[in-house]
Amino acid sequence: MNITPSPRLLRTTVVALATLLAAPLTLAQPSPPPAGRLLASNCFQCHGTNGRGPGFEQLAGKSPNEMYDKLREFQLGKEGDGIMARHAMGYTDAQMRALSLWLSTQR
Amino acid sequence: MDRRHFLMSSAAGGLLLPASHVFADDHRESGHKRSGSRSSSEAGSATAPSGNVATPPAKPKARVIVIGGGMAGATVAKYLRLWGDAVDVTLIERTAQYQSNIMSSLVLTGQRTMASLRFNYDTLQSAYGVRRVVGEVVEVDPVRARVRLASGAWLEADRIVMAPGIAFDSVPGLNDPNRMPHAWQAGAQTTLLAQQLAAMPANGVAVLTIPKAPYRCPPGPYERACLIADWMKARKPRAKLIVLDANPDIVTEVDNFSQAFYGLHAKVIEYRRGVEISSVDTGQMTVYTNGGAVQADVVNLIPSQRAADLAATTGLATAKRFVPVNVLSYASTAAPLVHVIGDASATTQPKAGHIANQEAKVCADALSRIFAGGQPDPAPVTNSACYSTITRSQASWLTATFQYDALSATMKPVAASSAASVGWRSDNFEQMNQWFNALMADSFA
Repeated sequence: MNITPSPRLLRTTVVALATLLAAPLTLAQPSPPPAGRLLASNCFQCHGTNGRGPGFEQLAGKSPNEMYDKLREFQLGKEGDGIMARHAMGYTDAQMRALSLWLSTQR
Repeated sequence: MDRRHFLMSSAAGGLLLPASHVFADDHRESGHKRSGSRSSSEAGSATAPSGNVATPPAKPKARVIVIGGGMAGATVAKYLRLWGDAVDVTLIERTAQYQSNIMSSLVLTGQRTMASLRFNYDTLQSAYGVRRVVGEVVEVDPVRARVRLASGAWLEADRIVMAPGIAFDSVPGLNDPNRMPHAWQAGAQTTLLAQQLAAMPANGVAVLTIPKAPYRCPPGPYERACLIADWMKARKPRAKLIVLDANPDIVTEVDNFSQAFYGLHAKVIEYRRGVEISSVDTGQMTVYTNGGAVQADVVNLIPSQRAADLAATTGLATAKRFVPVNVLSYASTAAPLVHVIGDASATTQPKAGHIANQEAKVCADALSRIFAGGQPDPAPVTNSACYSTITRSQASWLTATFQYDALSATMKPVAASSAASVGWRSDNFEQMNQWFNALMADSFA
Protein backbone atom coordinates (compact mmCIF):
# COMPACT_ATOMS: atom_id res chain seq x y z
CA MET A 1 0.00 0.00 0.00
CA ASN A 2 1.34 3.33 -1.01
CA ILE A 3 1.27 5.78 1.89
CA THR A 4 3.11 8.63 0.19
CA PRO A 5 0.66 11.54 -0.06
CA SER A 6 0.11 12.95 -3.51
CA PRO A 7 1.58 16.39 -4.21
CA ARG A 8 -1.95 17.64 -4.71
CA LEU A 9 -3.10 16.42 -1.29
CA LEU A 10 -0.04 18.00 0.32
CA ARG A 11 -0.79 21.32 -1.33
CA THR A 12 -4.37 21.20 -0.14
CA THR A 13 -3.26 20.43 3.39
CA VAL A 14 -0.77 23.28 3.45
CA VAL A 15 -3.39 25.70 2.21
CA ALA A 16 -5.88 24.47 4.81
CA LEU A 17 -3.34 24.81 7.60
CA ALA A 18 -2.41 28.30 6.48
CA THR A 19 -6.07 29.27 6.44
CA LEU A 20 -6.53 27.86 9.91
CA LEU A 21 -3.56 29.74 11.27
CA ALA A 22 -4.71 32.95 9.67
CA ALA A 23 -8.19 32.64 11.17
CA PRO A 24 -9.08 35.73 13.15
CA LEU A 25 -8.50 35.38 16.85
CA THR A 26 -12.09 36.30 17.60
CA LEU A 27 -13.15 32.89 16.42
CA ALA A 28 -10.81 31.13 18.82
CA GLN A 29 -12.07 29.34 21.92
CA PRO A 30 -11.88 31.38 25.14
CA SER A 31 -8.34 31.04 26.35
CA PRO A 32 -8.23 29.60 29.89
CA PRO A 33 -6.07 31.27 32.50
CA PRO A 34 -2.50 29.97 32.83
CA ALA A 35 -2.51 26.44 34.26
CA GLY A 36 -1.53 26.34 37.90
CA ARG A 37 -2.19 30.01 38.63
CA LEU A 38 -5.29 29.59 40.77
CA LEU A 39 -3.68 26.65 42.57
CA ALA A 40 -0.50 28.65 43.18
CA SER A 41 -2.54 31.53 44.56
CA ASN A 42 -2.99 29.39 47.69
CA CYS A 43 0.66 30.21 48.38
CA PHE A 44 0.20 33.97 48.13
CA GLN A 45 -1.29 34.55 51.60
CA CYS A 46 2.07 33.63 53.16
CA HIS A 47 4.54 34.09 50.28
CA GLY A 48 3.17 37.24 48.70
CA THR A 49 1.16 37.92 45.55
CA ASN A 50 2.66 35.86 42.71
CA GLY A 51 5.13 34.41 45.24
CA ARG A 52 7.04 37.68 45.29
CA GLY A 53 6.74 38.52 48.97
CA PRO A 54 6.40 40.12 51.42
CA GLY A 55 6.20 37.10 53.68
CA PHE A 56 7.97 33.82 54.12
CA GLU A 57 10.45 32.52 51.55
CA GLN A 58 10.00 34.01 48.06
CA LEU A 59 8.82 31.48 45.51
CA ALA A 60 8.73 33.43 42.26
CA GLY A 61 11.20 32.31 39.64
CA LYS A 62 12.50 29.27 41.49
CA SER A 63 13.27 26.14 39.56
CA PRO A 64 10.06 24.12 39.16
CA ASN A 65 11.82 20.87 40.01
CA GLU A 66 13.40 22.32 43.14
CA MET A 67 10.04 23.66 44.27
CA TYR A 68 8.22 20.41 43.53
CA ASP A 69 10.90 18.34 45.31
CA LYS A 70 10.66 20.58 48.37
CA LEU A 71 6.87 20.29 48.47
CA ARG A 72 7.19 16.53 48.13
CA GLU A 73 9.58 16.43 51.08
CA PHE A 74 7.17 18.50 53.14
CA GLN A 75 4.35 16.17 52.14
CA LEU A 76 6.33 13.08 53.13
CA GLY A 77 7.14 14.58 56.51
CA LYS A 78 10.87 14.84 55.74
CA GLU A 79 10.83 18.52 56.72
CA GLY A 80 9.34 18.07 60.18
CA ASP A 81 5.72 18.45 61.26
CA GLY A 82 5.34 22.20 60.78
CA ILE A 83 2.51 24.07 59.14
CA MET A 84 4.02 23.66 55.63
CA ALA A 85 4.15 19.89 56.04
CA ARG A 86 0.43 19.78 56.77
CA HIS A 87 -0.33 22.30 54.07
CA ALA A 88 1.55 20.27 51.44
CA MET A 89 -0.48 17.20 52.38
CA GLY A 90 -3.53 18.93 50.95
CA TYR A 91 -2.39 18.73 47.32
CA THR A 92 -2.23 15.96 44.75
CA ASP A 93 1.04 15.25 42.98
CA ALA A 94 -0.26 16.79 39.75
CA GLN A 95 -1.35 19.92 41.62
CA MET A 96 2.09 20.34 43.20
CA ARG A 97 3.70 20.05 39.78
CA ALA A 98 1.29 22.53 38.21
CA LEU A 99 1.67 25.18 40.87
CA SER A 100 5.47 24.78 40.98
CA LEU A 101 5.63 25.24 37.22
CA TRP A 102 3.48 28.36 37.30
CA LEU A 103 5.48 29.93 40.16
CA SER A 104 8.71 29.25 38.25
CA THR A 105 7.47 31.49 35.42
CA GLN A 106 7.05 34.46 37.77
CA ARG A 107 9.79 37.05 37.98
CA MET B 1 -15.06 66.51 41.50
CA ASP B 2 -16.10 65.44 44.93
CA ARG B 3 -17.35 61.86 44.89
CA ARG B 4 -20.27 62.22 47.24
CA HIS B 5 -21.39 65.35 45.49
CA PHE B 6 -21.34 63.62 42.12
CA LEU B 7 -23.29 60.70 43.52
CA MET B 8 -25.92 62.91 45.05
CA SER B 9 -26.36 64.94 41.92
CA SER B 10 -26.74 61.79 39.86
CA ALA B 11 -29.30 60.53 42.31
CA ALA B 12 -31.22 63.77 42.18
CA GLY B 13 -31.31 63.48 38.43
CA GLY B 14 -32.76 59.99 38.74
CA LEU B 15 -30.07 58.55 36.50
CA LEU B 16 -29.11 54.93 36.37
CA LEU B 17 -25.40 54.86 35.84
CA PRO B 18 -22.98 52.11 35.04
CA ALA B 19 -20.60 51.90 37.96
CA SER B 20 -17.69 52.60 35.61
CA HIS B 21 -19.14 55.96 34.59
CA VAL B 22 -19.87 57.39 37.96
CA PHE B 23 -16.42 58.64 38.76
CA ALA B 24 -14.88 58.73 35.32
CA ASP B 25 -13.68 62.30 35.61
CA ASP B 26 -12.55 61.98 39.16
CA HIS B 27 -10.59 58.88 38.45
CA ARG B 28 -8.85 60.11 35.34
CA GLU B 29 -7.59 63.05 37.33
CA SER B 30 -6.33 61.10 40.33
CA GLY B 31 -4.97 58.36 38.06
CA HIS B 32 -2.76 60.87 36.27
CA LYS B 33 -1.45 62.33 39.45
CA ARG B 34 -0.70 59.00 40.99
CA SER B 35 0.75 57.09 38.09
CA GLY B 36 2.95 60.04 37.21
CA SER B 37 4.51 60.52 40.58
CA ARG B 38 4.47 57.25 42.42
CA SER B 39 6.70 54.25 42.13
CA SER B 40 5.68 50.81 43.28
CA SER B 41 7.82 51.19 46.37
CA GLU B 42 5.96 54.34 47.29
CA ALA B 43 2.76 52.36 46.98
CA GLY B 44 4.05 50.12 49.71
CA SER B 45 3.55 47.13 47.48
CA ALA B 46 6.15 44.64 46.37
CA THR B 47 3.72 43.35 43.81
CA ALA B 48 2.34 46.49 42.25
CA PRO B 49 1.46 45.54 38.69
CA SER B 50 2.67 47.50 35.74
CA GLY B 51 0.94 49.12 32.82
CA ASN B 52 -2.74 49.00 32.21
CA VAL B 53 -3.76 47.29 35.45
CA ALA B 54 -3.07 50.46 37.40
CA THR B 55 -5.85 52.41 35.71
CA PRO B 56 -9.44 51.34 35.09
CA PRO B 57 -10.03 50.02 31.56
CA ALA B 58 -11.03 52.67 29.02
CA LYS B 59 -13.23 50.12 27.25
CA PRO B 60 -14.33 47.63 29.89
CA LYS B 61 -15.27 44.17 28.73
CA ALA B 62 -17.20 43.58 31.93
CA ARG B 63 -18.12 45.49 35.06
CA VAL B 64 -18.22 44.20 38.62
CA ILE B 65 -19.47 45.90 41.78
CA VAL B 66 -17.90 44.59 44.97
CA ILE B 67 -19.85 45.28 48.17
CA GLY B 68 -17.71 45.32 51.30
CA GLY B 69 -14.00 46.01 51.71
CA GLY B 70 -12.98 43.40 54.26
CA MET B 71 -10.61 40.52 53.64
CA ALA B 72 -12.79 38.93 50.96
CA GLY B 73 -13.95 42.12 49.25
CA ALA B 74 -10.52 43.76 49.03
CA THR B 75 -8.96 40.57 47.67
CA VAL B 76 -11.59 39.95 45.01
CA ALA B 77 -11.32 43.55 43.81
CA LYS B 78 -7.54 43.25 43.48
CA TYR B 79 -7.57 39.88 41.72
CA LEU B 80 -10.38 40.79 39.32
CA ARG B 81 -8.11 43.59 38.13
CA LEU B 82 -4.99 41.38 38.07
CA TRP B 83 -6.56 38.40 36.36
CA GLY B 84 -9.56 39.78 34.49
CA ASP B 85 -9.29 41.05 30.93
CA ALA B 86 -10.33 44.71 31.10
CA VAL B 87 -12.73 44.17 33.97
CA ASP B 88 -13.96 47.38 35.52
CA VAL B 89 -14.15 47.00 39.30
CA THR B 90 -15.96 49.29 41.74
CA LEU B 91 -15.48 48.60 45.45
CA ILE B 92 -18.19 49.99 47.70
CA GLU B 93 -17.28 50.25 51.37
CA ARG B 94 -18.81 52.42 54.05
CA THR B 95 -15.60 53.10 55.96
CA ALA B 96 -12.45 54.78 54.74
CA GLN B 97 -10.15 52.22 56.36
CA TYR B 98 -10.33 48.55 57.23
CA GLN B 99 -9.84 47.67 60.89
CA SER B 100 -8.45 44.15 61.04
CA ASN B 101 -10.20 41.62 63.25
CA ILE B 102 -7.19 39.36 62.98
CA MET B 103 -4.73 40.21 65.79
CA SER B 104 -7.27 42.51 67.46
CA SER B 105 -7.39 40.48 70.69
CA LEU B 106 -3.81 41.67 71.22
CA VAL B 107 -5.26 45.16 71.67
CA LEU B 108 -6.96 43.85 74.83
CA THR B 109 -3.59 43.01 76.36
CA GLY B 110 -1.98 46.24 75.19
CA GLN B 111 0.34 44.47 72.75
CA ARG B 112 -1.15 46.01 69.61
CA THR B 113 -2.62 49.42 68.87
CA MET B 114 -5.78 49.85 66.85
CA ALA B 115 -3.80 52.04 64.44
CA SER B 116 -1.35 49.22 63.71
CA LEU B 117 -4.31 47.12 62.55
CA ARG B 118 -5.73 49.63 60.07
CA PHE B 119 -5.42 49.16 56.34
CA ASN B 120 -6.49 51.52 53.61
CA TYR B 121 -7.62 51.10 50.02
CA ASP B 122 -5.07 53.44 48.44
CA THR B 123 -3.02 50.74 46.72
CA LEU B 124 -6.09 48.95 45.38
CA GLN B 125 -7.08 52.24 43.82
CA SER B 126 -3.71 53.54 42.62
CA ALA B 127 -1.85 50.38 41.67
CA TYR B 128 -4.72 48.12 40.62
CA GLY B 129 -7.19 50.59 39.15
CA VAL B 130 -10.04 49.67 41.50
CA ARG B 131 -12.70 52.38 41.60
CA ARG B 132 -13.76 53.23 45.13
CA VAL B 133 -17.06 54.39 46.44
CA VAL B 134 -17.28 55.33 50.09
CA GLY B 135 -20.90 54.64 50.79
CA GLU B 136 -23.55 52.37 52.17
CA VAL B 137 -25.42 49.93 49.95
CA VAL B 138 -29.06 49.84 51.04
CA GLU B 139 -30.52 47.66 48.29
CA VAL B 140 -29.30 45.07 45.83
CA ASP B 141 -31.35 44.23 42.73
CA PRO B 142 -30.09 40.70 42.09
CA VAL B 143 -31.91 40.32 38.77
CA ARG B 144 -30.65 43.45 37.06
CA ALA B 145 -27.31 43.40 38.89
CA ARG B 146 -27.56 46.88 40.30
CA VAL B 147 -27.26 48.40 43.74
CA ARG B 148 -28.76 51.43 45.44
CA LEU B 149 -26.66 53.55 47.76
CA ALA B 150 -27.89 55.38 50.82
CA SER B 151 -27.51 58.55 48.75
CA GLY B 152 -30.23 57.27 46.41
CA ALA B 153 -27.95 56.61 43.43
CA TRP B 154 -28.18 53.33 41.59
CA LEU B 155 -25.03 51.70 40.20
CA GLU B 156 -25.22 48.87 37.70
CA ALA B 157 -22.80 46.18 36.58
CA ASP B 158 -22.65 42.78 34.90
CA ARG B 159 -22.04 40.98 38.16
CA ILE B 160 -22.15 41.83 41.84
CA VAL B 161 -19.81 40.32 44.40
CA MET B 162 -21.10 40.64 47.95
CA ALA B 163 -18.65 40.39 50.83
CA PRO B 164 -20.78 41.95 53.55
CA GLY B 165 -19.55 39.93 56.53
CA ILE B 166 -21.64 39.08 59.55
CA ALA B 167 -24.40 40.47 61.73
CA PHE B 168 -24.99 39.67 65.41
CA ASP B 169 -28.20 38.20 66.73
CA SER B 170 -29.88 40.33 69.36
CA VAL B 171 -29.61 39.24 72.97
CA PRO B 172 -32.63 39.88 75.24
CA GLY B 173 -31.78 42.53 77.79
CA LEU B 174 -28.74 43.86 75.98
CA ASN B 175 -30.07 47.41 76.01
CA ASP B 176 -26.66 49.01 76.21
CA PRO B 177 -24.29 46.90 74.08
CA ASN B 178 -21.30 48.86 75.34
CA ARG B 179 -21.82 47.44 78.84
CA MET B 180 -21.16 43.96 77.45
CA PRO B 181 -19.13 44.50 74.27
CA HIS B 182 -18.54 41.71 71.75
CA ALA B 183 -15.39 43.30 70.30
CA TRP B 184 -15.85 40.74 67.53
CA GLN B 185 -15.86 43.33 64.80
CA ALA B 186 -12.74 45.27 65.62
CA GLY B 187 -13.50 48.89 66.35
CA ALA B 188 -14.69 51.08 69.19
CA GLN B 189 -15.80 48.04 71.20
CA THR B 190 -12.27 46.61 71.09
CA THR B 191 -10.89 49.72 72.75
CA LEU B 192 -13.79 49.72 75.19
CA LEU B 193 -13.27 46.10 76.25
CA ALA B 194 -9.56 46.79 76.76
CA GLN B 195 -10.47 49.69 79.05
CA GLN B 196 -13.01 47.60 80.98
CA LEU B 197 -10.48 44.82 81.53
CA ALA B 198 -7.83 47.29 82.65
CA ALA B 199 -10.27 48.86 85.11
CA MET B 200 -11.50 45.62 86.71
CA PRO B 201 -10.40 44.80 90.27
CA ALA B 202 -7.38 42.56 90.75
CA ASN B 203 -9.66 39.89 92.18
CA GLY B 204 -12.45 40.54 89.66
CA VAL B 205 -14.41 38.21 87.46
CA ALA B 206 -14.64 38.44 83.70
CA VAL B 207 -16.96 36.42 81.47
CA LEU B 208 -16.35 35.54 77.84
CA THR B 209 -19.19 33.91 75.91
CA ILE B 210 -18.73 31.73 72.84
CA PRO B 211 -21.68 31.45 70.45
CA LYS B 212 -22.90 28.32 68.73
CA ALA B 213 -20.99 27.51 65.54
CA PRO B 214 -20.86 28.63 62.82
CA TYR B 215 -19.42 31.97 63.84
CA ARG B 216 -16.53 34.12 62.65
CA CYS B 217 -13.04 32.72 63.37
CA PRO B 218 -13.57 29.32 65.09
CA PRO B 219 -10.41 29.39 67.28
CA GLY B 220 -10.78 33.12 67.97
CA PRO B 221 -12.75 33.09 71.25
CA TYR B 222 -10.54 30.34 72.70
CA GLU B 223 -7.34 32.17 71.83
CA ARG B 224 -8.78 35.37 73.28
CA ALA B 225 -9.58 33.51 76.51
CA CYS B 226 -6.00 32.21 76.69
CA LEU B 227 -4.57 35.63 76.01
CA ILE B 228 -6.71 37.35 78.64
CA ALA B 229 -5.87 34.61 81.16
CA ASP B 230 -2.15 35.08 80.58
CA TRP B 231 -2.55 38.84 80.90
CA MET B 232 -4.55 38.43 84.14
CA LYS B 233 -1.75 36.40 85.72
CA ALA B 234 0.52 39.42 85.39
CA ARG B 235 -1.94 42.29 85.81
CA LYS B 236 -4.90 40.97 87.79
CA PRO B 237 -3.30 38.19 89.82
CA ARG B 238 -6.42 37.00 91.66
CA ALA B 239 -8.89 37.53 88.84
CA LYS B 240 -10.91 34.80 87.17
CA LEU B 241 -12.13 34.31 83.61
CA ILE B 242 -15.32 32.30 83.16
CA VAL B 243 -15.74 30.99 79.61
CA LEU B 244 -19.34 30.16 78.73
CA ASP B 245 -19.36 28.05 75.57
CA ALA B 246 -22.71 27.43 73.83
CA ASN B 247 -21.12 24.51 71.99
CA PRO B 248 -21.01 21.00 73.46
CA ASP B 249 -17.21 21.19 73.52
CA ILE B 250 -14.24 23.17 72.23
CA VAL B 251 -15.00 23.51 68.51
CA THR B 252 -11.47 23.46 67.09
CA GLU B 253 -7.83 22.86 68.01
CA VAL B 254 -9.17 20.72 70.85
CA ASP B 255 -5.83 19.39 72.10
CA ASN B 256 -4.13 22.76 72.44
CA PHE B 257 -7.06 24.61 73.95
CA SER B 258 -7.84 21.72 76.33
CA GLN B 259 -4.26 21.72 77.58
CA ALA B 260 -4.35 25.49 77.94
CA PHE B 261 -7.73 25.63 79.70
CA TYR B 262 -7.26 22.62 81.99
CA GLY B 263 -3.49 22.91 82.40
CA LEU B 264 -1.55 26.12 81.74
CA HIS B 265 -4.42 28.51 82.58
CA ALA B 266 -6.45 26.24 84.89
CA LYS B 267 -6.07 28.58 87.87
CA VAL B 268 -7.56 31.48 85.91
CA ILE B 269 -9.99 29.97 83.41
CA GLU B 270 -13.17 28.25 84.41
CA TYR B 271 -14.51 26.60 81.27
CA ARG B 272 -18.22 25.72 81.12
CA ARG B 273 -19.48 24.00 77.98
CA GLY B 274 -22.98 23.65 76.61
CA VAL B 275 -23.96 26.94 78.24
CA GLU B 276 -26.36 29.07 76.23
CA ILE B 277 -27.23 32.65 77.02
CA SER B 278 -30.95 33.28 77.42
CA SER B 279 -30.78 36.94 78.45
CA VAL B 280 -28.61 39.51 80.15
CA ASP B 281 -29.05 42.32 82.65
CA THR B 282 -26.55 45.05 81.86
CA GLY B 283 -27.48 47.01 85.00
CA GLN B 284 -26.61 44.07 87.26
CA MET B 285 -23.84 42.85 84.93
CA THR B 286 -25.48 39.44 84.98
CA VAL B 287 -25.70 36.80 82.28
CA TYR B 288 -28.63 34.36 82.49
CA THR B 289 -27.99 30.91 81.06
CA ASN B 290 -29.37 27.37 80.98
CA GLY B 291 -26.80 26.70 83.68
CA GLY B 292 -27.84 29.53 85.99
CA ALA B 293 -26.96 33.21 86.39
CA VAL B 294 -23.40 34.50 86.27
CA GLN B 295 -22.40 37.92 87.54
CA ALA B 296 -19.15 39.57 86.53
CA ASP B 297 -17.19 42.80 86.47
CA VAL B 298 -16.53 42.55 82.75
CA VAL B 299 -18.61 40.67 80.19
CA ASN B 300 -17.28 40.02 76.70
CA LEU B 301 -20.58 38.92 75.15
CA ILE B 302 -20.02 37.41 71.71
CA PRO B 303 -23.53 36.78 70.33
CA SER B 304 -24.46 34.19 67.71
CA GLN B 305 -24.02 35.34 64.15
CA ARG B 306 -25.62 35.35 60.71
CA ALA B 307 -24.86 36.83 57.32
CA ALA B 308 -24.97 40.63 57.24
CA ASP B 309 -28.49 41.97 56.85
CA LEU B 310 -27.99 42.98 53.22
CA ALA B 311 -27.81 39.28 52.35
CA ALA B 312 -31.20 38.66 53.94
CA THR B 313 -32.90 41.75 52.52
CA THR B 314 -31.64 40.75 49.08
CA GLY B 315 -33.37 37.41 49.59
CA LEU B 316 -30.20 35.34 49.44
CA ALA B 317 -29.84 34.05 53.00
CA THR B 318 -31.85 30.96 53.86
CA ALA B 319 -33.15 29.53 57.12
CA LYS B 320 -29.55 28.57 57.84
CA ARG B 321 -28.96 32.32 57.94
CA PHE B 322 -25.97 32.32 55.62
CA VAL B 323 -25.97 32.41 51.81
CA PRO B 324 -25.87 29.12 49.87
CA VAL B 325 -23.42 29.40 46.98
CA ASN B 326 -21.93 27.32 44.20
CA VAL B 327 -18.36 26.99 45.44
CA LEU B 328 -16.95 26.80 41.89
CA SER B 329 -17.76 30.48 41.41
CA TYR B 330 -19.44 31.58 44.67
CA ALA B 331 -22.54 32.50 42.67
CA SER B 332 -25.60 32.59 44.91
CA THR B 333 -27.81 29.58 44.21
CA ALA B 334 -30.79 31.96 44.37
CA ALA B 335 -29.38 34.78 42.21
CA PRO B 336 -26.77 33.74 39.63
CA LEU B 337 -25.52 37.27 38.92
CA VAL B 338 -24.67 37.81 42.59
CA HIS B 339 -21.61 36.11 44.08
CA VAL B 340 -21.15 35.91 47.84
CA ILE B 341 -17.75 35.34 49.43
CA GLY B 342 -16.30 35.40 52.92
CA ASP B 343 -18.14 34.98 56.20
CA ALA B 344 -21.60 35.65 54.75
CA SER B 345 -21.59 32.54 52.57
CA ALA B 346 -22.70 29.10 53.71
CA THR B 347 -19.97 26.62 52.83
CA THR B 348 -18.09 23.79 54.52
CA GLN B 349 -15.15 26.17 55.00
CA PRO B 350 -14.45 28.14 58.18
CA LYS B 351 -15.45 31.78 58.43
CA ALA B 352 -12.06 33.50 58.63
CA GLY B 353 -9.91 36.05 56.87
CA HIS B 354 -7.24 33.78 55.41
CA ILE B 355 -9.67 31.49 53.64
CA ALA B 356 -11.92 34.42 52.68
CA ASN B 357 -8.90 35.68 50.74
CA GLN B 358 -8.75 32.36 48.86
CA GLU B 359 -12.50 32.23 48.24
CA ALA B 360 -12.07 35.68 46.69
CA LYS B 361 -9.38 34.37 44.33
CA VAL B 362 -11.56 31.43 43.26
CA CYS B 363 -14.40 33.89 42.60
CA ALA B 364 -12.14 36.30 40.68
CA ASP B 365 -10.73 33.47 38.57
CA ALA B 366 -14.24 32.12 37.85
CA LEU B 367 -15.54 35.55 36.84
CA SER B 368 -12.52 36.14 34.61
CA ARG B 369 -13.24 32.85 32.82
CA ILE B 370 -16.98 33.54 32.59
CA PHE B 371 -16.38 37.00 31.09
CA ALA B 372 -14.07 35.37 28.50
CA GLY B 373 -16.85 32.97 27.53
CA GLY B 374 -15.56 30.00 29.52
CA GLN B 375 -16.47 28.04 32.62
CA PRO B 376 -15.12 28.19 36.21
CA ASP B 377 -12.20 25.95 37.11
CA PRO B 378 -13.84 22.58 37.82
CA ALA B 379 -11.43 21.65 40.62
CA PRO B 380 -10.63 24.61 42.88
CA VAL B 381 -8.51 24.29 46.01
CA THR B 382 -8.64 26.58 49.03
CA ASN B 383 -6.75 26.68 52.30
CA SER B 384 -7.20 27.99 55.79
CA ALA B 385 -4.32 28.84 58.11
CA CYS B 386 -3.98 30.80 61.29
CA TYR B 387 -2.07 31.16 64.51
CA SER B 388 -3.62 31.23 67.98
CA THR B 389 -2.11 33.07 70.91
CA ILE B 390 -1.90 30.68 73.87
CA THR B 391 0.09 33.18 75.90
CA ARG B 392 1.23 36.74 75.25
CA SER B 393 4.40 35.42 73.62
CA GLN B 394 3.59 31.91 72.41
CA ALA B 395 1.28 30.67 69.69
CA SER B 396 -0.04 27.50 68.10
CA TRP B 397 -1.09 27.07 64.47
CA LEU B 398 -4.05 25.52 62.70
CA THR B 399 -4.44 24.69 59.02
CA ALA B 400 -6.56 22.82 56.48
CA THR B 401 -6.62 22.45 52.71
CA PHE B 402 -9.96 22.02 50.91
CA GLN B 403 -10.47 20.25 47.58
CA TYR B 404 -13.62 20.49 45.49
CA ASP B 405 -15.70 17.33 45.70
CA ALA B 406 -17.88 16.99 42.61
CA LEU B 407 -20.18 14.39 44.13
CA SER B 408 -21.32 16.59 47.01
CA ALA B 409 -20.53 19.87 45.21
CA THR B 410 -18.74 21.08 48.33
CA MET B 411 -15.21 21.94 49.39
CA LYS B 412 -13.93 18.95 51.36
CA PRO B 413 -11.11 19.22 53.87
CA VAL B 414 -8.22 16.90 53.07
CA ALA B 415 -7.89 14.83 56.25
CA ALA B 416 -4.10 14.66 56.32
CA SER B 417 -3.81 18.43 55.86
CA SER B 418 -6.25 19.32 58.65
CA ALA B 419 -4.14 19.70 61.73
CA ALA B 420 -2.83 21.91 64.49
CA SER B 421 0.59 22.28 65.99
CA VAL B 422 1.50 19.99 68.85
CA GLY B 423 1.58 22.56 71.61
CA TRP B 424 2.63 26.20 71.36
CA ARG B 425 5.94 27.95 70.94
CA SER B 426 7.46 31.39 70.83
CA ASP B 427 8.74 30.98 67.25
CA ASN B 428 5.14 30.41 66.17
CA PHE B 429 4.34 33.79 67.71
CA GLU B 430 6.95 35.42 65.48
CA GLN B 431 5.67 33.51 62.46
CA MET B 432 2.18 34.75 63.29
CA ASN B 433 3.35 38.32 62.73
CA GLN B 434 5.02 37.34 59.46
CA TRP B 435 1.86 35.53 58.31
CA PHE B 436 -0.33 38.49 59.23
CA ASN B 437 1.83 40.97 57.33
CA ALA B 438 1.91 38.72 54.26
CA LEU B 439 -1.83 38.06 54.34
CA MET B 440 -2.73 41.72 54.66
CA ALA B 441 -0.34 42.64 51.81
CA ASP B 442 -1.87 39.98 49.56
CA SER B 443 -5.32 41.37 50.32
CA PHE B 444 -4.76 45.14 50.40
CA ALA B 445 -1.45 45.92 48.64
